[in-house]
Amino acid sequence: MTSESDNSSQRAKAGNGRVASFLLADHRYVFLGTSVVALLGMLLSSQPRSSMSFLAHAYAVEVLMYYFLAAWVVLSLVALVNKLARWRDYAVVSPFVRPGFRKVERILSYFVWAFAIVLFVDRGVMGLFAITSSAIASNSNPKDSLSSAIYMLYEGRQIFATGIATTIELAVFGTLIAFFLALLLVFLRIQRIDRPDNDLVRFLKVIGSGFAKVYSAVVRGTPMMVQAGIIYFAGFGMFKGSGMSVTQVNGIWSTFIAGLVTISLNSTAYMMEVLRGGIESVDKGQAEAARSLGLSQWQAMTKVVFPQGIKYSIPGLSNELVINIKDSSVLSVIGVFDLMFATTTVAGIYYRQTETYMVAAVFYLILTMVASKLLSMFAKRLDVKSGPVMGTSDTTIPSAEAEH
Amino acid sequence: MKSANEEHASTSEPVIKVEGLRKSFGSHVVLKDIDFTVMPGEVVTIIGASGSGKSTLLRCINLLEIPDAGHVWFHGKDLAAQHVDVNKLREKIGMVFQGFNLFNNMNVLDNCTLAPVTLKKMDKAEAESVAMGHLRSVGLEEFAKADVNTLSGGQKQRVAIARALCMRPDLMLFDEPTSALDPEIVGEVLGVMRDLAKDGMTMVVVTHEMDFAKNVSDKVVFMDQGVIAEEGSPKQMFTSPKHPRTREFLSRYLEDTKEK
Repeated sequence: MTSESDNSSQRAKAGNGRVASFLLADHRYVFLGTSVVALLGMLLSSQPRSSMSFLAHAYAVEVLMYYFLAAWVVLSLVALVNKLARWRDYAVVSPFVRPGFRKVERILSYFVWAFAIVLFVDRGVMGLFAITSSAIASNSNPKDSLSSAIYMLYEGRQIFATGIATTIELAVFGTLIAFFLALLLVFLRIQRIDRPDNDLVRFLKVIGSGFAKVYSAVVRGTPMMVQAGIIYFAGFGMFKGSGMSVTQVNGIWSTFIAGLVTISLNSTAYMMEVLRGGIESVDKGQAEAARSLGLSQWQAMTKVVFPQGIKYSIPGLSNELVINIKDSSVLSVIGVFDLMFATTTVAGIYYRQTETYMVAAVFYLILTMVASKLLSMFAKRLDVKSGPVMGTSDTTIPSAEAEH
Repeated sequence: MKSANEEHASTSEPVIKVEGLRKSFGSHVVLKDIDFTVMPGEVVTIIGASGSGKSTLLRCINLLEIPDAGHVWFHGKDLAAQHVDVNKLREKIGMVFQGFNLFNNMNVLDNCTLAPVTLKKMDKAEAESVAMGHLRSVGLEEFAKADVNTLSGGQKQRVAIARALCMRPDLMLFDEPTSALDPEIVGEVLGVMRDLAKDGMTMVVVTHEMDFAKNVSDKVVFMDQGVIAEEGSPKQMFTSPKHPRTREFLSRYLEDTKEK
């Protein structure tokens, strides 16, 4: 008897995870878990019906379902009282643990789930449809938040679509450009003086790695919002200074271009640090072995260290895309028409800030979740161990312990 | 081994000549005025306690550590001089590390062919046939296409030896090649090294394997606190060491042999 329940709980655990096994397979909690589901179903049933409710046409069915759920809750309470009264020998003497009863209980619990789901669809999903269709059909902004959000989303759909497209373009192209720039910069950053180098090479190496260090410090030490302002207005001034009219300058140096330049240059610094972390975590012995065979520092880097270091960096690099989706929002300060700018535009039209920002939050969340899902699939294909994690811009990849 | 020895002996110029070598890390002096020569075909073992400077001396020979003062002549060229093409000279000095240091992004064969293909402009097919020959001699022919991460420690170290041999070095440096291996596997690596010595390869071996030092080497160097305390033939070192530190260091070993 117990072994049967153990087996089924293990099976469920392997299949659907802990929550499912907790609610369905583990006898001790079948009543507890499903009675919560039943109570939720009853609560939904007590909600007002929307115009699209299909149960409105089958009132008797809903009454039956309601009483079935109520009966289940009562049965659970009886079982609970029984358990509290006989807590020492419940598992042996209680009628609720007899094999026949258990089977019935399990089958009934499936009905509880089914009824709760039917009620959820009727009240929740159909209700949302009803709200959506009435909000869309409405001529003025509805009072309640959900309807209002849907109304503004529908009315401002073109604004939001433009904003989302711009945000995706900024994040994707910005990250790609930054990746290639970061590869160049990290190459400068890790230059070390080698014995056979002549004085010119030594000088260039010092300049190169110094430049990379300063670049990284300045870019990571200033807010992107400020960088965006500097880049946009400095660029504007430069083109203007070359004798162009304002219209001409706007044609070349649009806010989007300035925003793309900003996000690329900003992300370059962070990606360079991620790459550096990956490259430095490649065990130094391998570079030494390559040098001992007569390979130059450059050959050892390109043939042995870089391929491994870039692979180690992939989780951190893909994390940068997720960060850029979110951080591109600050570019709205120079007037880039991204999702954030779209949000403030819509909020300005309807004077409903909370609802519009909630809409923006949902969009950003969907974008970042889709991006990290795609990236982790990509990383899995490349056989990289850890997937991308949501983090802040300050996340750095800890380099593996150095040998010396 | 003897024949190879005599062949080289006619030129009688040392492969490696170290003179007045000094090296310190910060304020810690690791090597003090080391003088040391290796003749062609000679197998020199360096023994001594941990921290006595053995590995640093070895690493100074191919300039993985830059000496603070002194000279390292390899075939008469001073490696320690400024602007000497170290890369070119290193091609002729193979090195085997304690931690194997195989390239993890390549398979066994690519580990062996990387340097010959990159440096000698040997074409891939030729480099591969040379590499297969060396892999065969270390008994790992069938692992040529294996990922290095799937190999055991002993196999990794044998690949590392084959990789170094692919450059046809004049001199092989071994930096505690068996210290990271468990006792059962040590034998397979020492076997390969013994074969190499028999073929007349000039070798400098830093090791804690006293049997190897005693039976395979032509010269044993005992280092203590950054200086060469004593050097001599294995017979002399293992039967009548003169320096008290040598006697102390080898005491357990000397007693063992007496019991036998």
